[in-house]
Amino acid sequence: MDFSILWTEFFGLTLDGIVVGAIYALVSLGYTLVYGVLRLINFAHSEIFMIGTFTSLGLSIVFGFTGLEEPLGIVLFLLVFLVMALASGIVSGMSAVLLEFVAYRRLRRRGASRLSSLISAIGASFFLVEFYRLTTESKDWDFPRMLSKDPIFSISSAYFTLDKIIILLGAFGLMFGLDRIINKTRLGRGIRAVSQDEKTAILMGVNVDRVISFTFLVGGVLAGFASTFYMLFYESTKFNVGFLLGISAFTAAVLGGIGNIRGALVGSFVLGLIQQYSSVVLGYNWRDVVTFVILVFVLLFKPTGLFGEALQRARV
Amino acid sequence: MTKLLEVNNLTMEFGGVVALKEVNLHVSAGEIAALIGPNGAGKTTVFNVVTGYYQPTKGDVLLNSKSVLGLKSNKIARLGLARTFQNIRLFGDMTALENVMTGSDSRNKVGLVGSIIGTSRSRQEESLSHSRAAELLNFMGISHRSGQLARNLPYGDQRRLEIARALALEPKVLLLDEPAAGFNPQEKVELGELIKKIRDAGFAVLLIEHDMSLVMKISDRVSVLDFGQKIAEGTPSEIQNNQKVIDAYLGVVDNAS
Amino acid sequence: MSSIKIAFSKFNLRDSFGAWWENATKKQRIAFRVLLIGFFYALPFLDNPILGTPETNFQSVLFYPLAVYVAMAVGLNIVVGKSGILDLGYVAFFAIGAYTHAILGTFYGVSLWFNIILGAAFAMIAGVILGLPALRLRGDYLAIITLGFGEIVRIVALNLEITGGAAGIAGIPAPPNIFNVTFDVLDPKPHYWLMLTFIMLVVWMYIRLGKRRPGRAWEAIREDEDVAEFMGVETTKYKLWAFILGGAIGGGAGAIYSSQVASILPDYFTLNVSILVLACVVFGGMGNIWGVVAGAILLEYLPEKLRFLSETRILFFGLLMVVMMNIRPDGLFPRKKREKVYDKVTGQEISR
Repeated sequence: MDFSILWTEFFGLTLDGIVVGAIYALVSLGYTLVYGVLRLINFAHSEIFMIGTFTSLGLSIVFGFTGLEEPLGIVLFLLVFLVMALASGIVSGMSAVLLEFVAYRRLRRRGASRLSSLISAIGASFFLVEFYRLTTESKDWDFPRMLSKDPIFSISSAYFTLDKIIILLGAFGLMFGLDRIINKTRLGRGIRAVSQDEKTAILMGVNVDRVISFTFLVGGVLAGFASTFYMLFYESTKFNVGFLLGISAFTAAVLGGIGNIRGALVGSFVLGLIQQYSSVVLGYNWRDVVTFVILVFVLLFKPTGLFGEALQRARV
Repeated sequence: MTKLLEVNNLTMEFGGVVALKEVNLHVSAGEIAALIGPNGAGKTTVFNVVTGYYQPTKGDVLLNSKSVLGLKSNKIARLGLARTFQNIRLFGDMTALENVMTGSDSRNKVGLVGSIIGTSRSRQEESLSHSRAAELLNFMGISHRSGQLARNLPYGDQRRLEIARALALEPKVLLLDEPAAGFNPQEKVELGELIKKIRDAGFAVLLIEHDMSLVMKISDRVSVLDFGQKIAEGTPSEIQNNQKVIDAYLGVVDNAS
Repeated sequence: MSSIKIAFSKFNLRDSFGAWWENATKKQRIAFRVLLIGFFYALPFLDNPILGTPETNFQSVLFYPLAVYVAMAVGLNIVVGKSGILDLGYVAFFAIGAYTHAILGTFYGVSLWFNIILGAAFAMIAGVILGLPALRLRGDYLAIITLGFGEIVRIVALNLEITGGAAGIAGIPAPPNIFNVTFDVLDPKPHYWLMLTFIMLVVWMYIRLGKRRPGRAWEAIREDEDVAEFMGVETTKYKLWAFILGGAIGGGAGAIYSSQVASILPDYFTLNVSILVLACVVFGGMGNIWGVVAGAILLEYLPEKLRFLSETRILFFGLLMVVMMNIRPDGLFPRKKREKVYDKVTGQEISR
C-alpha cells in the first residue's frame, strides 16, 4: 500500500473521480429509473451502454477519422461530437425500448415471477455481448483522438483538459434536462406515478406500457450519451466494456439508494472518487474488487443506500 | 381460564401513521375469540405483529405468558401460533398433502444430514408427518384432494387447505384471517361448524371475520377495532347492542345479520 | 402454427413416464436403473458416427463439457431450481474446488481423493461467509452480489502468487490408480467415470433430500418465502443449506475437473461458465432433476455435434433463455408433479 501518491496526486485523482463519476451517473440513472417502474434490476442495461460505445466508434470510422490527423478546432469538434452523442443516444435508446419489448413485456403481462424476468434479462444481456463479441472479433477498438488533450489550466495536480470539461458540462446539462423531463412533462409524471404505486397509476388512467417504454428510452438515451463521453475519455472499447462499467454504475445506484434519482447522482460521484483513490493505494488491479466490496457492504449494512427507499421487506 | 395469547398495549406506527394504538387483546384456552372492525381498522396488522412479521412500536405480545417480541416468525410459529391469510397464500406448486406436511414438519427435529442418511428417526418423522397431514386433510373434508397441486384446487378447498396447513403446526392459538371470504351461506354454516370442531379439538381460535352472523354465532368473545383502537369487547350479544360498535359500522351490522 | 405451439407447451415427458414408473414392478424399476446407469458408464465405448462428435474426441467431450456441466447443473439446481435463489456466481465454487486441488495436489502432494472433499469443504465455507449475510437480501440484489462474488474469486486468482496469476497452475496431478484403472492425461475415460460416479452420488443425495423435509422446506421457500416462515420453516437456515450444498457440489466437481485438465488458469472461470450452467438449469426445467440433467446434456452436446453451434453457443444460449422465459418458463421438462385425483366418495384414483 502506498499512500504517498495519494497525497501528491490528490487533486488530479479528485478531478478524474468526478469525471468518471459523471459518466457513472448517466448510466446509473438508467438502473434507478427502470428499478423505479419495474422493481427490477435491468441486467442488460450495461449492454445498452456497450452498444452506444460501438455506435460512436462506428461513426468515427464512417467520418474517416484515424486518430493521426491534426486535432480539430473546438467548434468543429463539438459539432462532430454532438452528432456522435446524438446517434449513440438514439441507438441506445431504441435498443433499450426494444429490449424491454422482447425480454420483459410478455413476462410482466403474464405476472411471471421475478426470477423469470431476471433470467430473461440475463439471457438478453448475454446475447448482446456475444453478438458484439463475434461481430467485433473480440478486439480492443481504439477511438481516434480528435481533440487535443493538452491541459487548459491546472490546479495543483489536477489538469483540466478539454475532454474533461466537455464531459462535466455535458453530463450536468443532461442531468438538468432529465430533472425537467421527470418533473415537468406528462410522461415524466407518469414515471413518478408508476414508481410510487402502479395499481393506483393504472386506475388514474396512466398508460403503464407507454410509461415503461418511455422509461427505458430515457435510461437508454442517457447511457448512449454516457458512452460517447466514455469514448472521449478512455478512447477504447471492447465487447465486454459494459460489464465492469455496469457493475460500477449499479453500485453507484445502490450506494445512493436504488430508485432514488438524486441518490444515484451522489452515489456515482462518491464511487468515482473512491475508485480513483483506492486504485493508487491498492493498485489498479484491485479497483473492481473494491467496487464489489463496497456494493456488498452497502447491500448488507444499509440496503436502502444513502438516500434510499425502504424496500427490503418486499421479497422475490 | 389460562390466557394463551396476550397482546398488551400494542402500538404500531408506519412512518408516522398510527395503525394500532394501545390495543389490548387476549385469547384463552378453549375459546373462539373474534376480532372485528371496519376495513382498515388494523385487524390484519394485529396478526402481522403477533406472528413477528412487524416489530411493534410499543407494547408486548405474550404467548403462554412469555414474550415473543423480537423472535423470528418461524420460531413464533413453532411456539404455537399458526395463521391463515386473507388472500389465500398456498404453496401453489406443491400438492395439498405436501402443503400440510410442510406445516407438520415444524414439529419434527430431523435435520439435513439425518435426511440424507435416512436415519431411523428421519423415517419415523417422515411417516408421522405424512399420517398427520393425511388425518388433517380428512378432518377438513378434503382428503380426496391430497395428490393435487394446491393451485389447481377449487377456491373453497384452498381455504380449507390453508386451515389444515396451519393446524398441522399443532398451534396453541389458530389465527384465521377472514376464512369465510367468498363463501356462500351454506358453506359459511359448514365453516362455522368446522371452527367449533377445531376449538373442541383443543385449539384456541382468534378469528378475523366480516360476516357478522357467523361471528355472532360461533364466538365466545368479540373484540372490536376501529381506526386502530379497541372500542369494545364482550359477548356477542353485548357487542350487538353496543352503541359505539353500531356507530362504527354505520348500520352494517344490521344488514349483515 | 399455433397448434404446434400448444403441443410444444403442453408436451410433458414427466407425466407419461411418471405414470409408467409408478405402475412398474420393483423388478422393472431395478432393470431400468441398471440399464440407464450401464448406458452412461458404457458411453465412452459408443463412439460411432451417429453419436460421436465430428471434430473433438468424443471421450474428451464426455468428460468436458458434458459430465462437468451436468455436475454443476445438478448443484445449481438445488439453489436456483429447488429453492428459487438466483446465484449468478456459481463458477466461484467450481473455481475454489479446482484451485484447491491445483494448489494442494501440485505443491503439497495431497491426493485428489482428499481434495474432492477439501474442495467441497472450502466451497461450503465460502458459501457460509457469503451466504450468511447475503441470503437476507431480496433476490435481485442477491443475484448481483453472487455475480460480484464470482468475479472477485477470478480476480483474486489472477492477482495472487499461490494461484500462479494469469498463467495459472500447470502439472496438476491425476489421482492414484484404483481397481487397476489408470488415471492418465491422455485417457479421459477414467475421469469421466469418476465424474459420473460423483454425479450419481449427488443425484442420489438430492433425491433423498428432495422428497423429505428439506425438499419441502426448499419448495415452500421458492413458492412463498414469507408464508414458509409463518409455517415454521427456518427459511434462513434452509436457504443457506441450499446455497452451500450447491456450492459443495460445484467445489467437488471443480477438483475433479482440475485433475483431468492438468492445468488451469483464471480465464477458465469467467462469468460465462455461471451463465452456461444457469442456461442448462433453465432449459431443462428448474427444480426437476431429470430435466436439468437432460437439459445440460443437450446444451453441452449439441454445440459439439453441430459445429455451427459451437462458435456461437453463448449467443444461442442467451437467446434461448429469453425465449424459454417468454414461452415456456418451466423449461423443457417441467417440475410440475403428476397430479393424482381421487374420487371424493370412493377414494379411488381417477385417471385423466
